Amino acid sequence: MENMIRKESGFGIFNHWILAISCILLAVSGYGFLFKIEAIGAVFGGFPTMKTIHNWLGVAFSVSLFLTLFMYLKEALTFDADDARWIACAGGYLSHKVKIPPMGKINTGQKFYYIGLVVFGIGIAITGFLIWLFPENKQWLTLSHLIHNICFLFFVVMVPVHIYLSTLANPGTLRIMISGNIPYEWAKKKYPKWIAEVEHSHKA
Amino acid sequence: MGLLITPEACIGCRGCQVACKSWNQLPAEKSTNYGTYENPKDLTPALFNKIRYMEVPSEKDPMRWLFVSQRCMHCEDAGCMKICPAPGAYYRTKEGAVAINKDKCIGCRLCSAACPFNIPRYDDKGKISKCHLCFDRIGNNMAPACAKTCPTEAIKYGPREELMAFAKKKGYEKVYGQADLGGLGALYAFRDAPKVYGMNEKPEIPESVVFWHNVLKPLSYIGLGGVVAASLLHYIAIGPHKDKDEEVK
Repeated sequence: MENMIRKESGFGIFNHWILAISCILLAVSGYGFLFKIEAIGAVFGGFPTMKTIHNWLGVAFSVSLFLTLFMYLKEALTFDADDARWIACAGGYLSHKVKIPPMGKINTGQKFYYIGLVVFGIGIAITGFLIWLFPENKQWLTLSHLIHNICFLFFVVMVPVHIYLSTLANPGTLRIMISGNIPYEWAKKKYPKWIAEVEHSHKA
Repeated sequence: MGLLITPEACIGCRGCQVACKSWNQLPAEKSTNYGTYENPKDLTPALFNKIRYMEVPSEKDPMRWLFVSQRCMHCEDAGCMKICPAPGAYYRTKEGAVAINKDKCIGCRLCSAACPFNIPRYDDKGKISKCHLCFDRIGNNMAPACAKTCPTEAIKYGPREELMAFAKKKGYEKVYGQADLGGLGALYAFRDAPKVYGMNEKPEIPESVVFWHNVLKPLSYIGLGGVVAASLLHYIAIGPHKDKDEEVK
């Protein structure tokens, strides 16, 4: 049996999938509304029902996103010289020949992705609630509708990137959000600064 | 097909309001007299057509009264139809009317934000309610109830070219709504500037709605298609991350 280390807590995994599933269903029903796609409406039980489901999925999404703030925000807002080097070599994604600077628990790309997720997530959630609960105010409704759709663009572009990078592009990464455990040696290579921290605190 | 509304010919009898309610089986609503011929004060879910009353006194004509029918304009380029997320809630009849199907309406009210004329109203079930040009009458070659009942031809129904010719014959040079929003289904013969009759000089769908329709909507599928294609390309051309490759010589 390989030596394993826990990278994600059980609750973190649970919350990730609540966020992921609600996000995907919201995006699919969102496309249904955006282009009046009858087939998508039919899957959700007709458009009036799809509206109700879309609204309540929005509640699940918002709560789940809020909970992630306590999990990743601090790390996502911490940048150092290695992050600048990571950007300079594009994270090693454009060539396998570059040396990727040592990363902590989450890399620079993930930090930016998470910050975007929070910013556009809050944007899409607030405007969503305004559209749902206060449609009488036409100025707010028009503005919310616009912002809601701008934020939607972030999600339909960045979520597929996130899915690709965490599955096909980096084999072995998905298990972080399945069991939460990864081999110690593998982690040492991928997250050297995090492992160094763990080892340091162990010694202390 | 369309309507021609001539405020100068209107005598303010409001038979059109009554005929509309009668044909569409809309309930009477309690209203209060607030000292004008205008009653009720605004369109409601049970009032599709309202005569707006205005006094426009001038040196030449100290007693000029204007009666202007306010209702859905059945725009060719309709903001409501553009923004509506529910298929079939709004639809165009072959006569050119913007008709509605309450069963398909999801009650989001986006149409009321996109309408340049502030027309859509919502009933107590949260469903859209507005003039539909009596689509059930015009589909059977009958004039809409308002036009049918009008005793002075202030509201006239017919092919748009005929209506335009009629207005010209009566001495109206320009017809309001001829080219606005792709051509309105309700044309107005005005003697003065539209604003005298309480109408927008240049009615337009809100810019944000146009931007959303022309830019954001296409971007939302180009963006998704783009990243999926780019990911696929990346997988083939560069390939997944390999742990061994990290050792650079």
